[in-house]
Amino acid sequence: MACFALEWRRRWRLRRAPPGPLRDYLSAPFPPPSRDYRKTEYVAVDLETTGLDPRLDQILSIGWVVVHGARIDLSSACHRLIRVEGDIPEDTAVIHQITDDLAATGLELSLALPEFLQALRGRIMIAHHASVELGFLGAACKRLFGAGLLVRTIDTQAIARRILERRQTAFKASDLRLHALGERYNLPRYGAHNALSDALAAAELFLAQAAHRDNGRGMRVAEFL
Amino acid sequence: MDVELIEIRDFLASHAPFDRLPEETLEHLPKRLSVRYLRRGSAFPPTDDDSPCLYILRRGAVEVRDDEGNLVGKLAEGDLCPSPCHPDQPQMQMPGQTSEDTLVYLLPCETLAQLRSKHAEFAEHFEQSVSGRLRKALANIKESGDGTGLMTVQVRDLLGRELVSTTPDTSIEAAAKIMSDARCSSLIIMAADRLAGMITDRDLRNRCLAAGLSPTEPVRAIMTEKLHTVQADTLGFEALIRMTRLNVHHLPVIDGSRVLGVVSTSDLVRVQSANAIYLVGDVSKAGSAETLADISGKLPELQIQLVASGATADQIGQAVSAVTDAITLRLLQLAEETLGPPPVPYCWMAGGSQARREQSSHSDQDNALLIADHMKPEDDAYFAALARMVNDGLNACGYIYCPGDVMASNPKWRKPLNIWTKYFNTWIKRPEPMALMLSSVFFDLRPICDTEGLFGELQERVLNLSKADRIFVAYMAANALKHRPPLGFFRKFVLIHGGDHNHTFDIKHRGIVPIVDLARVYALSSGLAETNTLERLKAAAEAGALSKDGAANLVDAAELIGTLRMRHQARQLRRGEQADNFLSPDDLSPLERGHLKDAFSLINTMQESLGQRYQAGRFV
Repeated sequence: MACFALEWRRRWRLRRAPPGPLRDYLSAPFPPPSRDYRKTEYVAVDLETTGLDPRLDQILSIGWVVVHGARIDLSSACHRLIRVEGDIPEDTAVIHQITDDLAATGLELSLALPEFLQALRGRIMIAHHASVELGFLGAACKRLFGAGLLVRTIDTQAIARRILERRQTAFKASDLRLHALGERYNLPRYGAHNALSDALAAAELFLAQAAHRDNGRGMRVAEFL
Repeated sequence: MDVELIEIRDFLASHAPFDRLPEETLEHLPKRLSVRYLRRGSAFPPTDDDSPCLYILRRGAVEVRDDEGNLVGKLAEGDLCPSPCHPDQPQMQMPGQTSEDTLVYLLPCETLAQLRSKHAEFAEHFEQSVSGRLRKALANIKESGDGTGLMTVQVRDLLGRELVSTTPDTSIEAAAKIMSDARCSSLIIMAADRLAGMITDRDLRNRCLAAGLSPTEPVRAIMTEKLHTVQADTLGFEALIRMTRLNVHHLPVIDGSRVLGVVSTSDLVRVQSANAIYLVGDVSKAGSAETLADISGKLPELQIQLVASGATADQIGQAVSAVTDAITLRLLQLAEETLGPPPVPYCWMAGGSQARREQSSHSDQDNALLIADHMKPEDDAYFAALARMVNDGLNACGYIYCPGDVMASNPKWRKPLNIWTKYFNTWIKRPEPMALMLSSVFFDLRPICDTEGLFGELQERVLNLSKADRIFVAYMAANALKHRPPLGFFRKFVLIHGGDHNHTFDIKHRGIVPIVDLARVYALSSGLAETNTLERLKAAAEAGALSKDGAANLVDAAELIGTLRMRHQARQLRRGEQADNFLSPDDLSPLERGHLKDAFSLINTMQESLGQRYQAGRFV
């Protein structure tokens, strides 16, 4: 199974990784997919970027929050602005509201990423439309630490799509957006569009999706992967 | 703090009691929280939380039920939910269920305890008992006034000088000299250590000079002997109301049995422009019903001013009712001037809120005439004319005709003592719906003008009957449970029994009437003569008809609800609108909503215990 293969690959990479943040991250086992989701640890994450291509675009900010089982721990909430090279394209600045001046006050990615990897250690990553986060974080790890990011991931958008497909109802792409889904589950709507509030919204969405599928007897994490 | 949790901070900052925390504490608070999501239909609080928490509702709704499964409350965004942080508060621990998909913030009890110990205003919200919270809220209302003193100052503190007194044998001349030297308008007359009487400037003028009495006569000849007095710890406002009611301008102040001095209207007016007494003064001089109507037009202004000075509903009710009494009395005098003296003695009785001294500016009129038994059939023409003039006069003054025609001009309510006795006998022996409907008028009666003491006789008979008749009291108890207070508030709605929602509620019928009705039952069951609700409750507690705590709680609830009503009306009057009793939850601050909810729950408790005592369900 792919899941077991993932754990095997973690050990394989751990043996080859040079000392550093990525090696530390890999040193903790991934949560097993057979475990009850209510007893599992997660980190919900969101990135703001200068564009959509991990090879060309840069990370502008990272926001994350830890989830213990079915409970979001706000004390772990963290938001880091990242210093970028070059100008921020105007078309994306409109969305994330991060200006060149603001970005100049940011942290070097080489300092922020280890912080995030420390939080992610031994946990499952939650992201909405996770391919963006996986792409950018993977590229950053490769560039800074010489290897890509290996992580067990729950994609709340993929879960939503599966639910809608199973119901065999027609839906639009916009129905799968974070805020649209939040509304369906009676979640608070956050006005600001930024990495931490989106990470929090993704974490809340995951709790809602899980609560609606759980019949009270718990479920294996594998059901959400 | 991370700027992104600002939305959570803003949410907390806009909800009680977190709005009481300083900025800096609020900044750090979101980081102390965790978040849970509960699907609709989940048990609440969740059974699987390992550490005890306070639950703050962010989205969704929770229904709280008592042991029998009755809905007792419904919680929405911003409400604090039942939690194990308050082991001493059973109402905070009732089991609930989410009735919508719900997102809650969890604040560890430990953190809550720290916040409570550091921030007194925040901690007040968690004050142990509902009654304790109410008491505090009332104290705040009283303090919130514009600082003018009559609501708080005691008459003891208004006595500027040493007691000026003399003996009954002093000549009028010498007494006048004493007053002149001391620059005072009244003089206490003491016989040994006993208060023998008092003279005022007016007595010197009317009873000596104008009467042609020699100034060498002793003051005993012109002094007033039967004196009303006030205790030294009486509030200035209460002294003012007493003077207004008695239409006197001086009252001796007593501490135990010791005479301390005299307080005068001018002493009181110096502390606060005392409109009530001015109005009454104008009323007693008014020469026509039209002038009286002009004067009564100032009542809304009186209410606005009293509210602004921090007066409670009771104080305003006392002041307004005193003016109404004076107007009624003056209308009776004017009628007698036109019609001549009455053929037989009579008593003008006020009913309802005037009788209870709980009027707000402009209530309906409820009144009746009690006539001496030796009236002849032809005498009724006189009383019909008298009643017509007074009822019309009151209507012109803004006390509109009673919609149920409970007025002295109605022949049914203009009867000799023996017929009134029969009426009450029937009502008490056969408590039918009609009698119960009239009970709020006729079991709250007060004489306004009663030269021969007719009222006392009637009242004694009624109280002896009512006290002894358990079935009658049970009917009254059942009647007192007809108006139930709301359960509380839910979002923008008022939540009523059975789970219905309304946009507004009638604060009079849902908040005040229930307490008035309860107090009436306690008073009738113990044969108490008091009509005022607060006085009834206190007297009933003395008589053992309800517990001291129960009475004190109802007094506080009545004052709080009544005062919010007075404020609501004052706001409307100030905007030039008609005053009404309809409050929308939007009109209330979160704090006021909380206090109202507390008051409602106290009323509910007392209603339930009354219902059980009389098994009132059998009579509904």
